[in-house]
Amino acid sequence: MLAHPPSPDDAFTGAAGRRDNEPGPSYFEQPLLKRPHWGWNVIAYLFLGGIMGGTGLITMLAGRSSIPADRRLSRTAKFASLALAAINPPLLISHLGRPERFLNMLRIVKFKSPMSLGVWGLVLYSGAAGGNVLYELAEMRVAPRWLRIFAPPVLEPLQALLGAFTAGYTGVLISATAIPLWAKGKRHIPALSVCSGLAGACALNTILAIVSGNDEPVERLERLEAVAALAELTLLADFRRHAGALGKPMFEGKRGRRLRDFTAIGGIAIPLLLNVMGAVLPMPKSLRNARSVAASALTLLGGYVLRETFIEAGKTSAGDPHAAFRQPE
Amino acid sequence: MANGFFTDTTLCIGCKACEVACKQWNELPSDGLAFTGMSYDNTLRLSGTTWRHVAFVEDREVGTTIVNRWSMMSDVCKHCTHAGCMEACPTGAIIRNEFGDVYIQPDVCNGCGYCVPSCPFGVVDLIEPFKPSAAKAAEYNTATLDRERLSEGALQSHGGIAGKCTLCYDRQRLGFTPACAKACPTESIQFGNVDDLKARARKRVERLRERGVDAQLYGVDETTSVGDLNAFFLLTQPPEHYNLPARPVLPSTHQPAGYAAAALAAAALAVAGLAIFRGR
Repeated sequence: MLAHPPSPDDAFTGAAGRRDNEPGPSYFEQPLLKRPHWGWNVIAYLFLGGIMGGTGLITMLAGRSSIPADRRLSRTAKFASLALAAINPPLLISHLGRPERFLNMLRIVKFKSPMSLGVWGLVLYSGAAGGNVLYELAEMRVAPRWLRIFAPPVLEPLQALLGAFTAGYTGVLISATAIPLWAKGKRHIPALSVCSGLAGACALNTILAIVSGNDEPVERLERLEAVAALAELTLLADFRRHAGALGKPMFEGKRGRRLRDFTAIGGIAIPLLLNVMGAVLPMPKSLRNARSVAASALTLLGGYVLRETFIEAGKTSAGDPHAAFRQPE
Repeated sequence: MANGFFTDTTLCIGCKACEVACKQWNELPSDGLAFTGMSYDNTLRLSGTTWRHVAFVEDREVGTTIVNRWSMMSDVCKHCTHAGCMEACPTGAIIRNEFGDVYIQPDVCNGCGYCVPSCPFGVVDLIEPFKPSAAKAAEYNTATLDRERLSEGALQSHGGIAGKCTLCYDRQRLGFTPACAKACPTESIQFGNVDDLKARARKRVERLRERGVDAQLYGVDETTSVGDLNAFFLLTQPPEHYNLPARPVLPSTHQPAGYAAAALAAAALAVAGLAIFRGR
């Protein structure tokens, strides 16, 4: 049971369904709030959308570098962005109660609705990613060179900016609700979404770089991933402290252990350790790459579990009337 | 000027005529036959297809005195001044209509479900997608107009979208009183101009207090971010006893902090990234 300070309401006893050990008045312990209906497809979108956004940032960072290997990384990242931008809409559409009406999302632009802004962010991101891929295809002489006019230089930073938005808005979206756990995380969840999105993007691009035989920039990707992952771990620990009793559905019990094992330890601490080992210990290239791929796979799994925990713990939080009666301001 | 409901719980006798009238007029399916053991409440909550819900608060004792007191409340969508569902809706399906009420346009809603966790009162919910068995579907093409077919026909057009009280938009347009208020035998549910209703409600509270009843209005002169409620209540117990939040919070008030935190995180990581990928 959640611990609550005694309220003036507690002077009143004897309401139906009230028992001595209950933390306050309620209506037969019935939930106040409705549970969000979002399932695996929304969780997968939160995860892949974050990676897509982070990949947009990597596209610009590596693209600005003077090292040829970094520019090759930027090219790979552009193709990956476009692929992710193609996977995400079907995920979002499949979660709708009326999927055939998905275009209704594009009727209006609504600044008050993070979901509306997010859909437009996704649309614009896809456009920028498409333009940048077109540019690379022209550079590779797969497509006619004049097609580069569709990718002015501003498109790269634009994709990075839109990427930061798509990685972060999902956190704003879930925390701008009445669900006590999510509302309590109004600062932590959006920042966590950005950090986890970029860490996941570094992991994905590490794997892609190694697979495409361009392992020189991997060391830099891993350093950026370490920064993002450390920020993520710090934010998680701070959110746990900040949420207090409201954080119980996320940080305690079976789900709390899962978050600890797969995200905090498996998805952040172990990859960090592997990265430090790679930087310090001398090892043959094949072993070094195998270590990078393993660390990246663990990071990606941890990122998925984080999003899954957000959504599933939010459902539990919605079911607790005493938490919902004290809605965080 | 907005139209709304004044629900006076001191007059409610728990007959559930409002629930039935709402279901009939709006062609909503039944909630099935269940026994919850939670007083005489077998529907328990508002849902996508239950737009009036009578809560039964059955007191066994007050302090040391054992009394036999009932408190019934017919709950409904509050049609908030600042509505969380309406702000969250990405398609613009949820609008404020010409009567000042929050209305879901059923032909626009695409069932994204964002309004559901955005309601601080837990009112709106998604209606199950309509998936009849093959045998049932064939029956719909041939069956006569029986009651079940009517209500499942309504589900056919409303399955998969969000549902809640429309404040009988259609009846209001025809100049009729909403079905629940019309059916209420004790005028516990009163319909009308919200300002008139508020004046009436304040007088009622005064009179009840003179008689020693601890009456208070819920949803009038509110200082919360949700503001006043077009469907407000007269209560005799703390709001939580009726499953109402004492201080509802408008979810969109969390957005500025959220966007700022995300932007800060992104900027910090971008700076780190620029330093790492500087080239040499």
